[in-house]
Amino acid sequence: MRRLLATVLASATLLISACGGGGGGGGEESFDDESVVIYSGRNKNLLGPLIDKMKTATGVNVQVRYGDSAELAAQLLEEGDRTRADVFFSQDAGALGALAKEGRLTALPQGSLDKVPAKYRAADGTWAGVSGRSRVIVYDPRVLPEQPKSVFELTDPKWSGKVGWAPTNASFQAFVTALRVVQGEEKAKEWLTAMKNNGTKTYPNNVGILNAVDEGQITMGLINHYYWYEKVAEKGAAAVPSKLAFLPGGDPGALVNVAGAGIVKTSKHAANAQKVVDYLLGAEAQKYFADETKEYPLVAGVAVDPGLPALDSLKGPEIDLARLDSLSKTLDLLKEVGLV
Amino acid sequence: MVAQRVRTALRPPPILVGPAVVTAVLALLPLVYLGVRVAEGGPGVVADVVLRPRTFELVAASLGLAATVTALCVVLGVSLAWLVVRTDLPGRRMWSVLAALPLAVPSYVAAYTWVAAFPWLEGFAGSVLVLTLVSYPYVYLPVAAALARLDPGMEDVARSLGRSRFGVVIRQLRPSVAAGGLLVALYVLAEFGAVSIMRFDVFTTVIYTSYRASFDRTPAAVLGGVLVLITLVIMMLEARSRGRAAYASRSGTPRRPTPIPLGAWRGPALAWSGLAAALAVAFPLVSIGYWLLQGSSTRLDPGALGQAAIATLGVSAGGALLTTVLAVPVGILAARYRTRFAAFLEQSTYLVHALPGIVIALAFVFFAVRYAYPLYQRTPLLVLAYAVLFLPAAVGAVRASVMQSPPVLEEVARSLGRRPSAVVRTVTLPLALPGVLAGAALVFLTCMKELPATLMLRPTGMETLATELWTQTGSGAYGAAAPYAALLMVLAAIPGYLLGRRSH
Amino acid sequence: MLVARNITKRFGAVEVLRGVGLTVSDGAFAAVLGPSGCGKTTLLRIVAGFERADSGSVSIGGRSVGDLPPERRKVGIVPQEAALFPHLTVSRNVGYGLPRGSRERIEEMLGLVGLAGFGDRMPHELSGGQQQRVALARALAPGPGVVLLDEPFSALDRGLRSVVRDDVRDVLKRAGATAVLVTHDQEEALSMADEVAVMREGRIVQVGTPAAVYGTPADLRVATFVGEAVVLPASASGGAADCALGRIPVRTGAVAGNGGTSPAAGHVALRPEQFRLGHPGDDRLRGRVERVEFFGHDAVVTVRLPQMPAPVRARTAGEAPYHPGDEVGVHVEGAALFYREG
Repeated sequence: MRRLLATVLASATLLISACGGGGGGGGEESFDDESVVIYSGRNKNLLGPLIDKMKTATGVNVQVRYGDSAELAAQLLEEGDRTRADVFFSQDAGALGALAKEGRLTALPQGSLDKVPAKYRAADGTWAGVSGRSRVIVYDPRVLPEQPKSVFELTDPKWSGKVGWAPTNASFQAFVTALRVVQGEEKAKEWLTAMKNNGTKTYPNNVGILNAVDEGQITMGLINHYYWYEKVAEKGAAAVPSKLAFLPGGDPGALVNVAGAGIVKTSKHAANAQKVVDYLLGAEAQKYFADETKEYPLVAGVAVDPGLPALDSLKGPEIDLARLDSLSKTLDLLKEVGLV
Repeated sequence: MVAQRVRTALRPPPILVGPAVVTAVLALLPLVYLGVRVAEGGPGVVADVVLRPRTFELVAASLGLAATVTALCVVLGVSLAWLVVRTDLPGRRMWSVLAALPLAVPSYVAAYTWVAAFPWLEGFAGSVLVLTLVSYPYVYLPVAAALARLDPGMEDVARSLGRSRFGVVIRQLRPSVAAGGLLVALYVLAEFGAVSIMRFDVFTTVIYTSYRASFDRTPAAVLGGVLVLITLVIMMLEARSRGRAAYASRSGTPRRPTPIPLGAWRGPALAWSGLAAALAVAFPLVSIGYWLLQGSSTRLDPGALGQAAIATLGVSAGGALLTTVLAVPVGILAARYRTRFAAFLEQSTYLVHALPGIVIALAFVFFAVRYAYPLYQRTPLLVLAYAVLFLPAAVGAVRASVMQSPPVLEEVARSLGRRPSAVVRTVTLPLALPGVLAGAALVFLTCMKELPATLMLRPTGMETLATELWTQTGSGAYGAAAPYAALLMVLAAIPGYLLGRRSH
Repeated sequence: MLVARNITKRFGAVEVLRGVGLTVSDGAFAAVLGPSGCGKTTLLRIVAGFERADSGSVSIGGRSVGDLPPERRKVGIVPQEAALFPHLTVSRNVGYGLPRGSRERIEEMLGLVGLAGFGDRMPHELSGGQQQRVALARALAPGPGVVLLDEPFSALDRGLRSVVRDDVRDVLKRAGATAVLVTHDQEEALSMADEVAVMREGRIVQVGTPAAVYGTPADLRVATFVGEAVVLPASASGGAADCALGRIPVRTGAVAGNGGTSPAAGHVALRPEQFRLGHPGDDRLRGRVERVEFFGHDAVVTVRLPQMPAPVRARTAGEAPYHPGDEVGVHVEGAALFYREG
């Protein structure tokens, strides 16, 4: 019995000390009331180095919670007024729109908003786009020497079972919204149904689609452009036989999505939170996104990666990326077709 | 032999009932949360969500997947347990450790490695393969423990009466097989990561879609409620298959069974055990090695790796300890008292087990910000969430191990003047200790790879091996992910080794 | 002293105990004897406090214990198969009910059961009989008001059983303990106990010394339960009964004896030892030997008599010089038990 008790006590001690170590896992990152807390849907590998630069540049102590954008949005909604978050940095506009609709974001000052073209920020000023990513078709040049020109080519029976998409993915759904707005509900439904009937393969995310094209499983897929660049950086160009097609002529498949940031309404560190957002919209951060993830900087005067077509040259459809009622119509349509 | 009474007619002592009620209340908190969210939507939303044809389609897909995986896990788990515990299989000790190890492989990692290596492997078949390989230890472990404690005398009697030895063993093992199968079935129902990588749509897919695409928590809660109802039905089936069997071994220490010579079956038996270990353990390890060599993102940050390891060990140990402490009173009550209330307390710990982690995590967010704000995004709350997530494994382990010793020992102890609390301390727990510790090790392993609740509830800035793995794979940096995956498996090998060794 | 009064207990629709009373005086060894399912184990569990009676009272040493939990009743239990704590040494098993540091008492108890020096062994290192003696020492150690033995010998080998029985009885007597043995084995009950309570269908149907219960059973069913008997339809009058074996004297003073003058219809019961076998011709009754079972100290010869529907089993002392097929004379010795119809 004594031995049992000793075991229990020992493990309890271990636990407490480990919690101390674990809780302060980031050393100086242990929770303190002065830090600005960012809920980030963007990956730590990507954002981490920028956060370090941000701390130096702004002098603001920043803590980041990384997670999935939509899950963080759900968490923020669940937390309500008692959230510890000051800034929400989302991978896509929809999650920001969801928070704005529930009144969880405060309006950014006009000065900050004006740095970003109007189509890449919230109409009510609650968030601003930080970087842009274009929808593209990734294709396998070994099978398809000519690059595809439009998403409407994908319903051709010769590509039956050879196209991949990710219907649960937020960027894909934004693209479907664009499709609806530009082509009308009927046309959108027709296209989705045709795609489904053509045996289009469902993947959980963009990475899955990209890998499937590189491995020759499928010939084309609908993804965001920067995943391809990330993979080339990780595996080397030789391991990535696929190519990207930026679609011309206002094709819905050329939609530009944004990752963006907003300030949480209940933030107790509004001034510092503002500094964080302004930093993200500043030259240093914008250049970082352009260089590191090959995304499109949204603030004027920052150069795009030379390998990419210019942002202005992308003639994607113009839609309000965060209009949730529109998003919810998209979701209804996807449900109707039986994709989600 | 006269049948043993397995339960006592004594009234459950308050020293057990009090803590067990606390456990049940904690375990049922997510249900309250679902109720709040469903009520927000009203009957219209409920009908709209539940009556969609796709909901039925996906319920069928989930049930089909759960049934198939559970059946395969039973075949794999029981056969390996029997080979390792009862036969002269060469290298039994090694096999017993290897058989427990797959618990350390996060399902999404397993799924990714399989898809990466065999891109044609997808859909139902791929999901079945991966989920069977990562979850058969839920059957293997309790069955191996039960086999090790079964009275081999019973087998001898059966054999002398001309009945097949395996038949008798199976009948005796029914409760542990049923309990393990239940865990597997609920685990599969709650699974999201692996099936989505395998491109197979199941019920959790709609739940995640509801959060991800419409940012609406109400439909997700309604669907969660459907999962809870399905869980209820499955639990009733399990209770029936568990039967009323009294399976206490004799009060004396059972003699060690003589290993059954495999003879000509030695080759096939080795091949079978080897195949399981190769697919479930070696394959992911080799894949991780491949990431390490191939990925240009490969870099080793010993500081981050060490911190993540320490944090993982800390929260997982905390999770295992708290889960076990909460599970002990429930498990003892379930094993020893026939009252409806005791059964309810036990079942309540299983009820939310089929809910995906994100639902449980959001429920904890909901309650913590309202009623336990100082704990919010602090380690203790994360540990508590682990406990609610993984109680069933611990309760099952405690119940099974308590049932293995006859209640007459506790009655004798009582009549010798010891109070119920002292009897629990000096007789019930010491006798059940190996099984209880095995349950704790099982929970420890499961905590180590938990992701959705960890992401939401960990202290801001804390990274565990699982969250680092998620970060690295999320940006396609498989080379950088490899050390975390490898360390996760190495650390898990320790409890895996202890769990496996116990069957000797 | 143990006094149980008017105990009733039902499990759902089944009435297990229907007003059972049992009194065991200080230092006495009582046995509750009954077939399985008669309620005897339930009675024992009620006395120990493992079950609650629906009504009735239990007192031990003059103290009413009906509302006390088992740990406050001062009842010692010796269960089937000993049920030693497998994780504790013999010493710690014996000392389990004693305050810390009762070294001497443990030694004393181990000495009492003849296991001095076995204290450091683990239970699985002991034989079945030794385990049972440790269980007895454990139960006696705290000086209980009553010791309850629940079929304690049923798991032992037959050969071992009588030795352990003697040991247990001897230890209980030397410890001066009040004890109740619950058993379905009539031989065990009759050979060990000072007093036997025969239980059937939730009632105690007869209490008495082993000799009384065996010699003058309360009714025909008790008669056949406490020992082997040949039962024949009979009609009794004037101190004797007429049956297939002729007119046989009926035991006077028998509980169900016949005092009246008018013939009464009923059954006679005869014990195997009442049948004497001899040379055919010497006796009025003759039969043919069907089977001889030799037990060493005695033998049982199965004889078929022409006037009897079923064969008779006769017990003979020593060896029986008969073989199947032999014709033998059968003589009934002593008086028969007679039980009136209904």
